[in-house]
Amino acid sequence: MNYGILAWKNLARRPVRTALTVVGVGMATAVAVSLGGFNLGFRAAISRSIEQLGFQVMIMAKGCPYEAATLMLKGGTGLLYLPESAHEQIRTDPDIEAITPVFLGVAEKPAGGPEENTGPSAFTLIAGIERESYAKMKPWLQFKSGPGFDGGRWFSPDAAAEAVMGFEAAEYEQRKVGDLFYITVVPHGKTEPEFHAFRIVGVLERTGTQDDGTVFVPLHTAQRIFGREGQLTIVGVTLRQFNAIRMREFEGRWMSIPEVQVVSLEQVKGALVSLVGTAQTMVAAVAVIAILVAMIGVLNAILMSVYERTAEFGILKAIGAERRQIFYLVCLETLILCFAGALAGSGVAAGGAGLTDATLRRLLNLGLTQPMVLITPRLLAAAIGGAIALGLLAALWPAARAAALRPVEAIRNQE
Amino acid sequence: MPTTPLISGYGLQRHYRRGIETVRALDGVDLEIRAGESLAVIGPSGSGKTTLLNVLAGLDAPTGGQLTIGGQRVDGLSEQQLTTVRRGFFGFVFQNFHLIPTLTVAENIVLPLLFLRRPVVRHEVEQVLEAVGLSHRAHHYPRELSGGQMQRVAVGRALIVRPRVLVADEPTGNLDTVTADAIVSLFLTLVNREGLALLLSTHNLELASRCDRIIRLKDGQIVPPVSPPQSLR
Ligand SMILES: Nc1ncnc2c1ncn2[C@@H]1O[C@H](COP(=O)(O)OP(=O)(O)OP(=O)(O)O)[C@@H](O)[C@H]1O
Ligand SMILES: [Mg+2]
Repeated sequence: MNYGILAWKNLARRPVRTALTVVGVGMATAVAVSLGGFNLGFRAAISRSIEQLGFQVMIMAKGCPYEAATLMLKGGTGLLYLPESAHEQIRTDPDIEAITPVFLGVAEKPAGGPEENTGPSAFTLIAGIERESYAKMKPWLQFKSGPGFDGGRWFSPDAAAEAVMGFEAAEYEQRKVGDLFYITVVPHGKTEPEFHAFRIVGVLERTGTQDDGTVFVPLHTAQRIFGREGQLTIVGVTLRQFNAIRMREFEGRWMSIPEVQVVSLEQVKGALVSLVGTAQTMVAAVAVIAILVAMIGVLNAILMSVYERTAEFGILKAIGAERRQIFYLVCLETLILCFAGALAGSGVAAGGAGLTDATLRRLLNLGLTQPMVLITPRLLAAAIGGAIALGLLAALWPAARAAALRPVEAIRNQE
Repeated sequence: MPTTPLISGYGLQRHYRRGIETVRALDGVDLEIRAGESLAVIGPSGSGKTTLLNVLAGLDAPTGGQLTIGGQRVDGLSEQQLTTVRRGFFGFVFQNFHLIPTLTVAENIVLPLLFLRRPVVRHEVEQVLEAVGLSHRAHHYPRELSGGQMQRVAVGRALIVRPRVLVADEPTGNLDTVTADAIVSLFLTLVNREGLALLLSTHNLELASRCDRIIRLKDGQIVPPVSPPQSLR
């Protein structure tokens, strides 16, 4: 005979009530774990996505930094351009470790071609890059190998009609090394679309970033076909020493160029975090409500069970139970309820993380490629610990009531 | 040569305040109980039998008088202190059995040991089961037992702590006469064999008369025994 058996057998006495309470605790835990997982995962995802851009600082045309963020992560439309001369100026900065100019443009895929594509993605993101500095900025970029992909390489600087495809772009368009790829572009200031063909000279390995969906062409080719010679979309920069002070100094030196803004990716990160912050606050409110409801459920279940057993507690005290032993017994029952619920809820949350991730992705399309829900053992431990702590908090009052029962009255009132 | 009493009370009072009115549930009772002695408390309903038993057993604190349990003065002690005095000294049996329905016969019987932090000794449990005649029912649940068997479980639960005093408040109130008789026989056997003291309240004069002593309560006081008039003998 021990307290565990006593507590367990009592919970088993009211299976429906016990089950409902456990479900309540479980649901609250699942919500809390999912929210916590989102909180962890989404920050990590933003950090990773931004790290994988390879830049610490972006030079871009003046505009909204939110736009800048989504532009970089999703390849947005409505692009703003800055003059190439800014790049020439900034590259002389002594603190710069690496710098790369990027021109982004959105091209249409020609209709009526042999592999006609009229889906929602009849558009392709074209990145005009300078291959050496770009590859230096992103040392992880590698060419895919295997049948049809062997011999992948960057375009030669002066080859106007060579292109490198990102992993997904190539997969989607079913292109291999040596194939041709067609686009049509309406150059800036003109109305008639122009047709272009590129020879694919390399396909990149998957990176998990936006590069996967991009088609890379030489910088000057891109500028020319989009009719924007001498213009850039962004200039990516890494500094020799990246910290807030260096960043501010760097910004101070180049703020003077009128058309240009200097955006630290830390800033962008902050902007994205606060963008999602609102949504998180709402979900957190739901979680708080779920937790409160579960706590009230626990309180109610334990209180009812204490009321029902008034005489029983009177007897236990008559046969020798001390206050604290009764208190302990009631708390133990609560603990079992909450532990079972928290365990089940954590299991559901961990098992359903993929689903939560997919749902969040549909709600908040930020173009993050990493999982937005990250459920760690520490998070689960915290959730289970929290459920038990809050459950015990809810049980304090009923347990104290049961412990304070006077045996004579408890027995008499129930006779 | 009389031994020192296990319990002695002098001028015991238990008053309840009900608004301006005071209910004198116990109103100046003197009483001693010694080991190996059986005492029956009789009296009409509301005369204070339950109150007396509860006060003598340290379940309820007297509002006046002196009370000594096991050589220790207990009047004026807090409920918590009373618990300490009570534990292991008394075994309780109630009219409504008050078994824990989710526990088996054996589990009900050993339950007090849990609270007294004493180990469960297998052969002791078997002895108790044997003594109350329930060896073959050890793993049954209370709902599977008859009233008399349930009361035997309650007796077993009282005995497991090896108490000095067995307190039974109308233990036969819910039992038929034959079963009631058997339960009282069990009590008296235990008193004789184990040297326990028995405090028994009952409405049944016949059962009471099997005890060593009878006290009759009326309005919270002991009524002196009245010899029946000669003419009725
Ligand atoms: N908590 C209480 N508050 C007020 N009065 C009480 C309380 N408990 C008992 N009494 C009163 O004390 C008196 C004695 O009650 P007690 O239960 O001791 O009688 P009893 O002899 O056991 O009766 P019964 O044979 O019906 O069990 C009764 O008048 C009762 O109403
Ligand atoms: Mg009574």
